[in-house]
Amino acid sequence: MTQETLLIGLAGVLASAAPVVFAVIGETLSERAGVLNLSMNGTILLAAMGGFAVAYTTDNILLGFLAGMLIGALVALVVAFASITLKQSQVAVGFVLALTCRDLSYFLGSPYMGVPGPRLQVVPIPLLSDIPVLGTLFFRQDFITYLSFLFIFLAWAWIFRTRSGLMLQGIGEKPAAAYIRGANVTLMRYVYTVIGGALIGLTGPAYSLAIRAGWMGTISGLDGIGWIALAITIFGGWNPLRGAFGAYLFAFLQWLGLVLQPVLTQVPSQVLQVAPFPLMILTLLLVNIGNAEWVERTLAAMPESTRKFFAKLLRAMRASPPAALGVPFISRSRKRVLGGLYRRICARGRKLRAVFVKY
Amino acid sequence: MKKLLQSDWVSRLLDGLLPVFATLAALLVGAVMLLFLKVNPIEAYLSLWDGAFGSANSLAETLVKATPLLLVALGICISFRGNVINIGGEGQMIVGAILATWVGLKFTNLPGWVIIPAAMLTGFLGGAIWGGIPGFLKAYFSVNEILSTVMMNAIAVQLMNFLLRGPMIDPAQAELASKIPQTARLIEAFRLARFVPTRLHLGVLIAVILAILVYILLWRTTIGYRIRAVGHNPHAAKYAGINVKRYIVLSLLLSGAFAGLAGAIQVYGVNYRMITDGSASGFTGSAGFNGIVAALFGQLHPILSIPASILFGALLVGANKMQRVVQVPSALVIALNGLVVVFVVSSEIWRRRRQRQRLAAVREEETASKPGQVQVAEKEAKG
Repeated sequence: MTQETLLIGLAGVLASAAPVVFAVIGETLSERAGVLNLSMNGTILLAAMGGFAVAYTTDNILLGFLAGMLIGALVALVVAFASITLKQSQVAVGFVLALTCRDLSYFLGSPYMGVPGPRLQVVPIPLLSDIPVLGTLFFRQDFITYLSFLFIFLAWAWIFRTRSGLMLQGIGEKPAAAYIRGANVTLMRYVYTVIGGALIGLTGPAYSLAIRAGWMGTISGLDGIGWIALAITIFGGWNPLRGAFGAYLFAFLQWLGLVLQPVLTQVPSQVLQVAPFPLMILTLLLVNIGNAEWVERTLAAMPESTRKFFAKLLRAMRASPPAALGVPFISRSRKRVLGGLYRRICARGRKLRAVFVKY
Repeated sequence: MKKLLQSDWVSRLLDGLLPVFATLAALLVGAVMLLFLKVNPIEAYLSLWDGAFGSANSLAETLVKATPLLLVALGICISFRGNVINIGGEGQMIVGAILATWVGLKFTNLPGWVIIPAAMLTGFLGGAIWGGIPGFLKAYFSVNEILSTVMMNAIAVQLMNFLLRGPMIDPAQAELASKIPQTARLIEAFRLARFVPTRLHLGVLIAVILAILVYILLWRTTIGYRIRAVGHNPHAAKYAGINVKRYIVLSLLLSGAFAGLAGAIQVYGVNYRMITDGSASGFTGSAGFNGIVAALFGQLHPILSIPASILFGALLVGANKMQRVVQVPSALVIALNGLVVVFVVSSEIWRRRRQRQRLAAVREEETASKPGQVQVAEKEAKG
């Protein structure tokens, strides 16, 4: 393999990871706010179909991307309404939506099956694309891939370097405290879930208008991407930078599987196809191993120097979810305090109660 | 009238009927969708009903479709009660079916009454292994079970594709150029008894009996009590002396086992062989996912899951007929399935609000009559 083909392959890895990057950032924002958007797998398919259909009928790629974002935002709105306002189980609602959206996309997309549609073109950035190695890698991509590079840093800076981002972390970690500090938890959760949903929606057209242009129904090979993105979100420890690294790692492993197939002919093709999944489980295991009780006990029994090394390693890999993830927030704390007071007064006697009601 | 509505048994009845109302509401939304497709909804629904229950044959088909749904739903009842989310029904069904098929193809010289129970048991075990691995990872490494079960699905599919193309391929197909990825057929003696002339098989009976057994397990045994206790509050369960980790593994293991059994029964009762089109739903018909929906519809109760899975079986079977008669894509009915569940889940909020109102009414009465005992009434309301 020459250096040139290797570089082009790696550039392809960056491009094919772009849709997953959007999904991971979207899910990260949503989960940081405390809402688990489990509908991702269906949303991506529906957005891919919808985005392609719109771009095909209007012959305008930008409209296709906007349609995908709109679909993602709408599905996220349903998730938000069910989980924030109705306080339903986010897992049940999200899962049902994941199945429904998937089936809906196959149903509604049947007229667009296999029609050749518009496709995003590669736009080399002048000057920058002429840099020897980096130019091929980073600056000869299509528009959506550039956008994915940009969003990684934007999302990271927003969450960890701004005041609103701090509040975002607050409503996911300890909504009651954020509420006391003046945050409108319900509204914020709605906003972040919908923005996250729009980003997840962007994943769909990023496939159907760029990476795997066209809509192929059940054989699009998109079914399952959402679940992988969910795993990468967790692997990323709800941090866009780490999440993006996970997405690139996954794309790289997939590419490696394709490249190695002709070399390792005695290995069945299914093994290479399936390899990302056990690897993903393994990474999840490594990320979580620091949280296990028995690991700490084993560490404590080790000699000092090894213990320090392993503890550092585990801390680096460890990630814990936002504390209030999936927990509905009941923003009636003030009312409840007053109610308790009211009831206590009631218990003292009917007379006092009459006085309280009067004033 | 208000008093009647608030009386105990009437409100209980209303709560019980809520899923029915929710289904009707979903069908109403479906009717609007049908109108948009310029189809007469009444005609469409009549053909759906006819396709699902119209004749003995279609009723049998409905029950055949409902059987794997019910078995998966039973497993889901166990795991969701233990607050463990098992989305790996598809993979567990596949692994159970692979192991059961292997038993049936390997020991052809043994009598049927040995092989059939043995195959069911291996199917059960296969599902248990495939569910137990995520359970173990969750309990001892706190790996999120939703993700690991989904990944295990993908692994199971590729395992099936590999085995059916290679080691387990039908010897007759291996010689042909087409090489259809399927196993050989099970011999006559190993097939589950059928109620001829329909395709209804003994598996239906097994599923119903197991539903009763799961009910007994969950509400009449210590194991079931502990699973539910861990699901309600793992910390409280831990301080009550329950080995929480072990019961997390157990609930996923049992959940997977029932899905595995569903796969085994699918092979021994319906298909008599395994065949793959490369995807999971090609073999399972998405029963591993739809079973979750059926269990949620049955309010995670094994007995209520029986009518729930029959309903979804009927929707699936009736969809084919509806598709033929009024020319709508059967995917619409699958979307209808989702609608039903969304409506049922949201009707739950209504039920809870009524429950709160009832408790509040009780509390009000208590306060009015015995002001000194407010605290007690409050405690009751919380409990």
